[in-house]
Amino acid sequence: MSTQDSGYWYLASYPKSGNTWCRVFITELQRLAGEETPDELNLNQDVETGAIASSRLWLDDQLGINSCDLSFAELDPLRGRAGESAWLFAEGERFHKVHDAFQSLDSRGRPVVSTTGCLGVVYILRHPEDVAVSLSHFFSWPLQRCVNFLLDPSAALVPSEWHGGHQVRQHMGRWDQHVRSWTDQQQLPVLVMRYEDMLAKGPETFLTLTQFLRLPDDPSLVNQALRNTSIETLQKLEDQVGGFAEKPKGAERFFRSGRSGEGAQQLTLEQRQRLAEGLQEVMRRFDYEGVDKA
Amino acid sequence: MSSQLGGLMSELTKYQHNYGAFGLNILSDMLLPELPVHASTDLNPAAVRIMASSHEGWPSLVANEHSTPLLQMAAGDWRLELEGIGWFRAHAGETLSYERWDDSVSDRDLRTFLVTSGLAALLIQRGALVLQGTTLVRDGQAVMLLGTPASGKSTLACCLQQDGWQLLSSELSVVSEQGLVWPGPQQLKLWHDSAAALGLDWAQLPLVRRGLKRYALLPPDANVISQPVPLALIYSISGAKRETEAGECEIETRRIERQAVALLMLRNNAYQPRVYRAMNQEANLFLQASALTRRVQSHRLTLPDGVKRMQEALEKVDLLAPGSLEAKPPAELEASAEAKEEAP
Repeated sequence: MSTQDSGYWYLASYPKSGNTWCRVFITELQRLAGEETPDELNLNQDVETGAIASSRLWLDDQLGINSCDLSFAELDPLRGRAGESAWLFAEGERFHKVHDAFQSLDSRGRPVVSTTGCLGVVYILRHPEDVAVSLSHFFSWPLQRCVNFLLDPSAALVPSEWHGGHQVRQHMGRWDQHVRSWTDQQQLPVLVMRYEDMLAKGPETFLTLTQFLRLPDDPSLVNQALRNTSIETLQKLEDQVGGFAEKPKGAERFFRSGRSGEGAQQLTLEQRQRLAEGLQEVMRRFDYEGVDKA
Repeated sequence: MSSQLGGLMSELTKYQHNYGAFGLNILSDMLLPELPVHASTDLNPAAVRIMASSHEGWPSLVANEHSTPLLQMAAGDWRLELEGIGWFRAHAGETLSYERWDDSVSDRDLRTFLVTSGLAALLIQRGALVLQGTTLVRDGQAVMLLGTPASGKSTLACCLQQDGWQLLSSELSVVSEQGLVWPGPQQLKLWHDSAAALGLDWAQLPLVRRGLKRYALLPPDANVISQPVPLALIYSISGAKRETEAGECEIETRRIERQAVALLMLRNNAYQPRVYRAMNQEANLFLQASALTRRVQSHRLTLPDGVKRMQEALEKVDLLAPGSLEAKPPAELEASAEAKEEAP
């Protein structure tokens, strides 16, 4: 088995930045390129590109213990060693979603994901103003709380020490810290993909993605996969399956709007200024406009 | 004769604690309050030993392909390294050794892993059927609740305890070839939110480990039974919740009719299938699990969200009579659940 066959990839992003779209696209591209093509993508059965790196089940299997018996401070330094071996990931499950920052406050400078056997990472980022709006719908949080979350250096998913869950805590930190943790790390090759480019320049952006991931890169196939995974199509498919499995209970739907620019319309001037002020360096670096203080 | 006696005396001095769990006599140099005390004070030469030992003195190991960086294994030899906590070794189904990482590590830290992963590995080496489940007893009948960590086993077990059930084995359960469940660890671990919702005085409960917001419910707070009990029913806790028309999620069961599906469900709930493979015991697991599916009915169990709703739901049903809470699911759901079980 060649390295490419046995290797795996990470699809890393701050939440609500286009990670699921990317995974659905990969699934659809592989479906279209396969010899046996089912009629249509089934969101809840076919989008199995690989386990999320924070899956407790997977970590428990790797560590040989019940990870509920470890504190976050004990678990995070171990996580990067889980799955060091190349045989870890089952064939066909090669693209692993990650919402963690590359390192956590507790990981003692080590990555919280395994880097051995990993072929590279696609880092997807989206304008933080739009992330705030999308988070608000996803978590049913007020916008102000989402803005605070993006600016919180200790922000995390599943952060509670008071109850268990099927995923372990995922430290993200401030939005710009999250971006830098992945884009500036030197251990894995990285392709940075802006959500706005996935929307505005889909064919070329996704073609670059397929080439980076060594997937079929016939432009007509890429364009067909792109058409089949447009937001309108995904919304239709979500309705057909009666709700996407990854949708939280409180959210009306998972594939909601997909548009860019909603943050500028819905956030207050003060909220936009706070984001621009707190995240300006990385926003500028990735060509995101903000609102300066008057 | 005198040298034999001297050896026994030395053993008694070294292993001050004598437990009876999983059908074994377990001698330990560390206090393990999670395990039932052995009824006899006689020293059993065939007893399993749990003891401190320097990991640097352990023989080198050629790890097989089922090993991971933290879990080095070969048939009959299991080694776990937990940074900041310690090293653990289960060998030949006879000894379980440990070494603490440094002096800051407490006995409580070590025994958390000794009585779960460590003993489970040793039992797998001995060819036992070790399932990821908590077993409770009522009216002389045992019911096993299978499920992954954080699936709600301990919370449900605690609800049942409040309803008069006795705890036989928590977190892992061993079933004999005769269909008896042996007493095992008798400690329910409850997250803070569950403990509070259950109305427990959590501030008075010991922590599972320092730094965790999890509490240990041990005897006498936990009502336990320390005799093997015939297994009457197996429930696999299902994550898929179905809501009623009123939007409420009720407790319900669905019998797993097909033996092949029940077998796969049991295999998926084996305590650490990776260890079975590494210990070369997977065929044995299948044989024993298969025999168990012929002997005992398996059901999927769907629980309501939240402790209060779980308590309310349990008042209306009897887990020893699964027919009373059986739901007839749409054919599509049944097929989907079975397909999921069959996935590798």
